[in-house]
Order: sequence, then structure tokens, then C-alpha cells
Amino acid sequence: MKPRRFVITPIMGLVALLFLSPVLLMVLTSFKPESEVLNPESAIPKHWTLSNFAYILQWKEEAPFGRWLLNSVFISTSVTFLVLTFTSMAAFAIARLKVRGSKLMLGVIVASLLLPGQLFLIPVYLMLGKLHWLDTPLALIVPATAGGFGVFMLSQFMRAIPTAIDEAALMDGCSSWSLYTNITLPLCAPAMATLGVFTFINSWNDYLGPLVFMDSVRNYTLPVGIALYQSSYFTEYGRTLATSTLATLPILLVFFAFQKQIIESMATTGLKD
Amino acid sequence: MIAPGRRWTSYLFLLPFALSFCAFIVTPIIVAGMLACSNLDLTSRQSAHWVGATNFTNALKDDYFHKAAVATCTYAAMMIPALIALGFAFALGLQAMKKGRNFVRGLLFVPGMFNVVVAALIWRWCYELDFGYFNYLLHKIGLGPIHWLTEEPAAMRSIVGMSLWWSLGGTTVILLAALQQIPTQLYEAAMLDGATGPTVFTRITIPQMRPVLVFVLVTSTIGAYQVFGQPFLLTQGGPEQTTRGVVQLIYETAFNQYRLGYAASISWLLFAMIGIPVLLIVFLLRRSID
Repeated sequence: MKPRRFVITPIMGLVALLFLSPVLLMVLTSFKPESEVLNPESAIPKHWTLSNFAYILQWKEEAPFGRWLLNSVFISTSVTFLVLTFTSMAAFAIARLKVRGSKLMLGVIVASLLLPGQLFLIPVYLMLGKLHWLDTPLALIVPATAGGFGVFMLSQFMRAIPTAIDEAALMDGCSSWSLYTNITLPLCAPAMATLGVFTFINSWNDYLGPLVFMDSVRNYTLPVGIALYQSSYFTEYGRTLATSTLATLPILLVFFAFQKQIIESMATTGLKD
Repeated sequence: MIAPGRRWTSYLFLLPFALSFCAFIVTPIIVAGMLACSNLDLTSRQSAHWVGATNFTNALKDDYFHKAAVATCTYAAMMIPALIALGFAFALGLQAMKKGRNFVRGLLFVPGMFNVVVAALIWRWCYELDFGYFNYLLHKIGLGPIHWLTEEPAAMRSIVGMSLWWSLGGTTVILLAALQQIPTQLYEAAMLDGATGPTVFTRITIPQMRPVLVFVLVTSTIGAYQVFGQPFLLTQGGPEQTTRGVVQLIYETAFNQYRLGYAASISWLLFAMIGIPVLLIVFLLRRSID
């Protein structure tokens, strides 16, 4: 083989390490006692401590970290469940049952994906106010089910399933509902998993939504909570970095569990954002 | 037997999504259109009324909007070329790797999984003037401290630096997948004809990659014009508003000053700012593909 390949592997390894170094610094520093945090001499803590984590996990009135964590888990899980249910049912009607007007509907849905999210922010804020949903989890859950990306993606996937399967099932007296639950959904499991993972990550990382729709500190999600914590306790870097480490942990677990699916679907569809 | 598409029960499957779509996509768009032509202001006692295109003509004369548009365009002009050039370089590097390609690809992707708040927190700490990591490293090699976030043009560059770290993984993965799909016969045939490296790159790699490059260009343009979290959290829009982009202006006009009508009109102007370059890219580059 060409010699340059032996140069490129270590270079790319170095680049990856440089990319990860801020993350490693964050994790290492969150284990440092406050006296060592401002001393960049050694990246690795001289005295390892869990005091930063213990401190932020106390349920304090001004920074209820545990509460923010529960809010984020509840909201992201609900959004993921509802998006998967709503979009798979709609995609089933469009791609498998081929209801009249399905082409037009799909066209409208795809066109809506081109509109920037900021356009919706103010009208949705006013609507949520009229519904008295502001400052409740509903404000972050219900509007999130309206995005059309899942319908587009799943209907593309469902279209590829041979129609002979449906015909045989209907011939045997299978209802549309059991066709959906027993045949189409199991066949769509990989696409559903990919959509689910991306929906969860996007909801978990949403910042502008909770920033605008949530008022009371105890109803914040993790990103807004951490941003508030950071602005009030700016110099306590050990603690703010510990909050970041804890908030990132679930996402990193999801990422490493579904790494292949996430990266490959990103590669083929450019799914993220 | 009635075809399933003709049965009224089939429409029940559409119902949940259709209701949500009408309520939170279709209605907000109509409301956004009406708001932009009204003077709705939650701090004013007067009820809102129709003002026609006044908001738009005011915004186009507004100094704050000019500054925000300049900041957003400056960010986009730095971010988009850097993202595509570095993403392409990384994808070529990964493809040339013998071992551990998927491992390194995974590591490059990790920053993109981070929340913008967490990413900004880490970077703000690295950029810190007195005890930040970058100035510590500079100090070690005998260079003076840099005001990473408090002076122009360093501030905007620092924001672009963090954004690149955050988004490069995704772009690299897309470009790498496209590189791997180029048929090897093309390269073999070129080698047989005695083509050299640079010729192969400009005559085979680039033309084969064109559709994907257009896709990445369009998506990164859309993303860059909507930048909000990175400047909002790193510099709060400073120094002297040079990094305050259009989305931050919309956010502050709407939710700090409660001038919702005016803010809605600026969000339509942002839509135009995104739509015009995207249409140009698609129109100019599409023709050259066919």
C-alpha cells in the first residue's frame, strides 16, 4: 500500500483526540475539588472527589437539578412515544392504505419542513397562552408532535414493503388496524428505532422551546436549568461542569448504544436538525 | 371488498397527526402572517390593529435589524465554507485510513450529540480570559492572552470555532458516505489512463460528489442563518452587538420587549434571508448537474 496511509491514520487519530479533549476536560474537571478547578496545571485531578455531584443533586429551591432531570426525561419520553405513534399511523394511511389525496398531503408535509422554526415561535407562544398550557409540560410535548419529518421518512420506508403482504392479510380477513400493528409496524422496526432515537435527542437538547415557554424554575428542562445555573454561579466551574456531565450522560449512553444506526441514518438522510 | 383507501375508517389513522399538524403548523403560519401586519405589543394598553406593511418597512430602516443581519451574514460567510472544506478534508482523511475508520468517525460525531448549552459552557470555560485553558496554553509558549470573547474580530471567530467543533461530525459523516459510494472502477480506469492524484480529484471525486455537496451546502446554509444558541450563550451578542444575530433579535424583541407583531415581521425577513441564497444555490448548481 501507499506509504501516506501510515501517516494519515495517526493524524486522524490526533484530530479525533483534539475533538474529544474539551469533553475529557469537562468530565475530569467535574471530579476536581473547587480549589483545583481554577488551576489548569494538571488536567487530571490530584484529589478525586464526588462533592460537586453530591452538591448539585441536593434538591435546592433555586436549582432543583433532580427536578430538571425528571422534567427532561418525562418530556423527551412523551414526545418520542407520541411522535412514533402519530407519524407511523399517518404514514401507514398514506403509504399502505393509500387514502385519497395522500400525494397532496405528503407534498404539504414536505413543504412545511422548509419553513424555519423561528416562524412558529411567536404564534405558538400566543396559542399556548390561550390554552393555558404555558409553563406546563404540555407546551413542550404537544406542539412537538406536529413535525412532518417522521411521516415523510416512515412513508418512504413503508412504500418499499411489497404490497402482496397486505393483500394476503386482507384476503384472510385481517382488519386495517391489525395489519398496522401486526405486520407493518414490525417490518418498520429499524426505521422506527432511528426516528425514535433522533426525536429523543432533539427533544432532550431543545433550548429555545423551554427558554420561551417555561416560566418557573422548577418547570425548566435540563438545558435551560443549566444555563440559569451557569449564569448565577458562573465562577463555580466544578459544579457547572458536573451538571453538564450529568446532563450529557444519558445522551452519550443512547449514542453509544445506537451508534451504528445514528451515524448511518445521518449519512443517508442528513437527519439531524 | 372495498379497497382500503376508500374506506372512511382509513382516515382515522391520519386523524391524530392531522389534528396536530393543523393546530401547530398550519394555524401558526396564518397567525404569523397576521401578526407581522399588526402592532401587537403586550406592554401597550391599546388593542392590536392592522398596520399593513409598516413593520416590514420599519425593520428595513431599523439599525438594530441591520446590525443583526450583518452579524448573521458574517457568521454564515465564515461558517459555511469552513464547515464544508474541513468536513471534506476529514472525510478524505477517514477514507484513506487503513484501520479504525469507524472508531474515529464515531469520536468525531460525539460533539454533535451535546446540548448547545453544555457545548457553550465547555467552550466558554476554555475561552476564559484569566484562567481559561487556551490562554493557559498560549502563556506556556510565551504568548500574551487573547480576549477570545470580548473583542472583535476574535469574538465571532471564537463562535465559529465552537460551532465547527459542534457540527463537523455530521457533515463529515455525510461526505464520507458519499465518497464511499463512488464506484472504484472510475478510479481504476483513471489510473490506467495515467491520471495523477490532483486530476483524479478534480475530474472524478468532485463531479461525483456534486449532488451531496449541494445538499450539504443547502442544509448548512439553512443552519447557519438560524444560529442562536452559540452567540447567545458565549457572548450574549457582544461586544457591541457585533455577534447578535437575527434569531436573537427576534427572541429579545418578542420576549424581552414583548413587541410580538414587530418580532413576527422580522422572522419573515429571516425566512427571506434564508430562502434567497438557498434558491440561488439550487437554481445555479442544479442546472450544472444535469
